[in-house]
Amino acid sequence: MDAVTLIAFIVAGYAAFVTIAAVLGVVLRAPRPKWLDQISWMLEVLAVVLALGALASWSAGRKPESLSTFLGYVGALVCLMPLALQTMRGDRSTWSSGVIAAAALATGVVAVRVMMVR
Amino acid sequence: MTETSPAKTRSGPHLVLLTVYAIFVLAAGARSLVQVLTRFDEAPIAYSLSVVAAATYVAGWFAIRSAANGSAGFAKVMLWIELAGVVVVGVLSLVVPSWFPDDSVWSKFGIGYGFVPALLPILGLLWLWRGRPEGAR
Repeated sequence: MDAVTLIAFIVAGYAAFVTIAAVLGVVLRAPRPKWLDQISWMLEVLAVVLALGALASWSAGRKPESLSTFLGYVGALVCLMPLALQTMRGDRSTWSSGVIAAAALATGVVAVRVMMVR
Repeated sequence: MTETSPAKTRSGPHLVLLTVYAIFVLAAGARSLVQVLTRFDEAPIAYSLSVVAAATYVAGWFAIRSAANGSAGFAKVMLWIELAGVVVVGVLSLVVPSWFPDDSVWSKFGIGYGFVPALLPILGLLWLWRGRPEGAR
């Protein structure tokens, strides 16, 4: 298993953790806690590390089957969570945690897709 | 001022729906764009249906947003159209597989996306019936 695959698994696992934490917030009907934002930004940091790793392996000569698909997934990987957090910036309601859950789940799925198509 | 204005989307489960619709606008839109631009001849029916799915998600996003602001008419129509599209394309992809040499977004009821395309309009309709704030009904 190479480094990028390992990072992708870490991102997917951590995204699952963030998703579960955010869903719990919705189930418990609690206002969105600040720590949920913090662990979501941590997911974004991991996603950026994965994106850089995938781009580095591409520039080192690894050719994806479809370059446009690969670059699309890399772009989505780094953009999803900041967009969700920015959209919910002024909203600390219970359902804003649901938005974070959806974005974290999508980030995890995209991380796996990056690993598959690179 | 706790009253919500029509221009501002209020908080509620529709925020999650809007997020998932936005993700599907991105996913289906990018997928259909790549399919149509790079290999349309391989599966013209499937790839055209991917474009229709992407357009439906754009319309669905606006429909949910307008329903959250109190105007549910467009959403009622749009969500039924979306559900019908998923069901019709899902059935066709199983009954006439020769039309689908490659998958479209709604092939086999959205199996490539964990069946979320089939669940999404159902959840939207449930929200319209039960979850929407009283003022928006």
